[in-house]
Amino acid sequence: MKRMLSILITLLALGLSSSLAQNSGGTLIAAWAQDPVGLDPHITSAYSSFQILENVLDTLVTLDAEQNVTPSLAESWSVSEDGLTWTFTLRQDVTFSNGRAFTADDVVFTFNRMLDPETGSGNAYLLAGVTDVSAADAYTVVLTLDAPNPSLLGKLGVNKAVGIIARESVEDGSINTQPIGTGPFMITDFQPGVKVMLEKNPEYWQDGLPYLDAIEARIITDESVRRSALVSGDVDWAISVPAQSVSELSARDDLVVDSVPAGAYWYIGVNTTRDPLSDAKVRQAISYAINREQIAEAAAFGNAEATQDPIPSSNAWNYGYAPYEYNPEKAKELLAEAGAEGMSMEIMPTTQYEESIRVAQVLQAQLSAVGINATIRTLEWAEWLEEEGAGNYDTYVCSWNGLVDPDDFFYAQHKTGEVFNFTGYSNPSVDELLQQGRTAQDRGEREGIYAEINRVIVDEAPYVYLYNPLNINVYQTYVKGYQARADQAIRFVETYLDN
Amino acid sequence: MNARYLFQRLSTLLLVLIGVSILTFLIIPLIPGSPARVKLGVQATDETVAVLEKQLGLDRPLPVQYWDWLSGIVFRADFGTSLISDKSISEEVSRRLPATLQLALMALVVGLIIALPAGIIAALKPGGKLDLGASIFSQIGVSIPDFWMGILLILLFAETLQWLPSSGFVPITQGVLAWLSHIILPAITAGLISGAIMTRFVRSAMLEVLNQDYVRTARSKGLAEKTVVTKHALRNAAISIVTIVGLQMATLLSAVVVVEIIFAWPGLGSLALNSTLQRDYPMLQASVLLFATAFAVINLITDLSYVLLDPSVDYA
Repeated sequence: MKRMLSILITLLALGLSSSLAQNSGGTLIAAWAQDPVGLDPHITSAYSSFQILENVLDTLVTLDAEQNVTPSLAESWSVSEDGLTWTFTLRQDVTFSNGRAFTADDVVFTFNRMLDPETGSGNAYLLAGVTDVSAADAYTVVLTLDAPNPSLLGKLGVNKAVGIIARESVEDGSINTQPIGTGPFMITDFQPGVKVMLEKNPEYWQDGLPYLDAIEARIITDESVRRSALVSGDVDWAISVPAQSVSELSARDDLVVDSVPAGAYWYIGVNTTRDPLSDAKVRQAISYAINREQIAEAAAFGNAEATQDPIPSSNAWNYGYAPYEYNPEKAKELLAEAGAEGMSMEIMPTTQYEESIRVAQVLQAQLSAVGINATIRTLEWAEWLEEEGAGNYDTYVCSWNGLVDPDDFFYAQHKTGEVFNFTGYSNPSVDELLQQGRTAQDRGEREGIYAEINRVIVDEAPYVYLYNPLNINVYQTYVKGYQARADQAIRFVETYLDN
Repeated sequence: MNARYLFQRLSTLLLVLIGVSILTFLIIPLIPGSPARVKLGVQATDETVAVLEKQLGLDRPLPVQYWDWLSGIVFRADFGTSLISDKSISEEVSRRLPATLQLALMALVVGLIIALPAGIIAALKPGGKLDLGASIFSQIGVSIPDFWMGILLILLFAETLQWLPSSGFVPITQGVLAWLSHIILPAITAGLISGAIMTRFVRSAMLEVLNQDYVRTARSKGLAEKTVVTKHALRNAAISIVTIVGLQMATLLSAVVVVEIIFAWPGLGSLALNSTLQRDYPMLQASVLLFATAFAVINLITDLSYVLLDPSVDYA
């Protein structure tokens, strides 16, 4: 019996030690698609930057895999009855990767820098309505708002643009290359076009995490080379692979194809200030004229769900409003009613996203079937942004990404005069509803408000929604503790190499 | 050749570089789009773009920006910092220049290994089977796009056979074998095409020489064909061959841009392309200037090598 026991104990100890050894250490070689466009969280808007920062900075609250708000640097929070004062209680055991203790002053510094017009932060909209940020004591932060805004909480965790930075990075000018945060990893080397090295933050506040010693994010811009690097075992993990190779890779037993419907949508942005597109009937005609399944198949090789409204099926706020069945005859009728038969228009995709070019090509063919003569003007990214911002287009093809709350899907895009309202759409009753959606405290009430907004936007069609893409990461089977996320965030905090 | 000639050539080089720098400075801002917009992306507003452009110093008049940039280089040997990543441009460029030079040189070596034997053999029996083979090869070689060739090589050697890594760069200081295994596929990709082009030139240079009287004389003297070809003909064909090698080296420097992108090779070409896409003006300036310098230096070396090959050439 004694012997049995000792064998048992030995076995148990062996099992424990081997599982610990499996969980700890090693360097993950990750294939990244694009260079970060600078790493200052307040300036950059690039997903490639946020995906690095995801592992370096922490936010007050964060979103779990199901996109629910959960505590992070803030342990708890409360909202005053009038909805104007938010009080966050911070963790007391958090240290920046440079060894300095994290306090409420760091939150005040970070948010004030973001709100300061001199910073030129394009991400300051996430804090829209915040009039004051102050520290009540070392571990209590108070945000004062000019109007109630229940969606604020989601925005404080939606991405690392609102991550808390150490003021030292700003003072010594390294914020754009090596921002210091409280996250599981720290940036130790950034060679543009080559790689970003992340090393374990020895000060990280979650016990025992992260498991990995380091991450080498290699920039491999060509997607088919990324696929080859994965298949040949040169890299452990890839941010994306060519859409047409997904089914082939799924069939392999040495790779995991991890996919989830993303909080994102592809759409046609229609310039509502130009004739004849200013007529809602013409925009509806476009919506009837297109076959969304065909577009999703051709542009995303089926790795997408065709949709007529923006919020994906993976999101609890999904409405599934679909008034436009594919109907070229109906489209022709509407065009005739609007006096726009045989009209010409331009579609503007960008070389930055090949997918947008494929969408434009299918659109062109489908629209010609109802007598719309569409031409394609493909621009590279910097010029595309300029033209979109200046409203120099008829229609463009693009996507919105990383959206969680219904407010994210509608407010900035469709409210009159908002900075991202590039289509020039304006509807006072929608404006009012969007405002109500921000101030309503009750979930049921908000649900009704956004159902109405969703209906009107789809009906009046300043955006013609096409499909919700899948977010697909592919990795070797020995990469454990990783999960592709609907918000496209890439988190390696619990990832380990089981080999 | 004397010191005066060299001095003349070097001062022309300086003038060319100043010309190139002014030209790029004037052309670049004509491209629509600004680095501020690239950074801010779809979330850019006119206000934030203006603030950022001011921070980056892009709101100043062009001559002021140019003088600032030029004086930085002349007086402080400083190319400034990247508008996008805040990295030191001198550091970035000096990290990448060697990678591009290594790749271009290796590609040239691959090209010569193909072109010299193929061209010579083809010239020996014009219209023969080997000549036909060589011209088919060079026709195919110049027609294949390098990005396609690169991907094919990756599929075969990295994915299917798993002999070589699919992409990336390892400095030679971290082991010769590792360096070689990484450089070989990109070098073959760029070198095959340049080899195909050079094959044609070697063939016609050899043909021309082989048809000359002194070769006939050498043959009629009863010299072995091998001696005739290597000692008499090749030596005289060398001048035209060196010219085309010099031109090819210069072409390769630009041809490797595409190859660098495919193989994630951290060279000057991918840097120049990225800087253009991101409107990183000073980074682009520095890369263009370096490319221009490299072109000019290669031309100079080509011209100087004539003297070594042909004593009758003298740059007095």
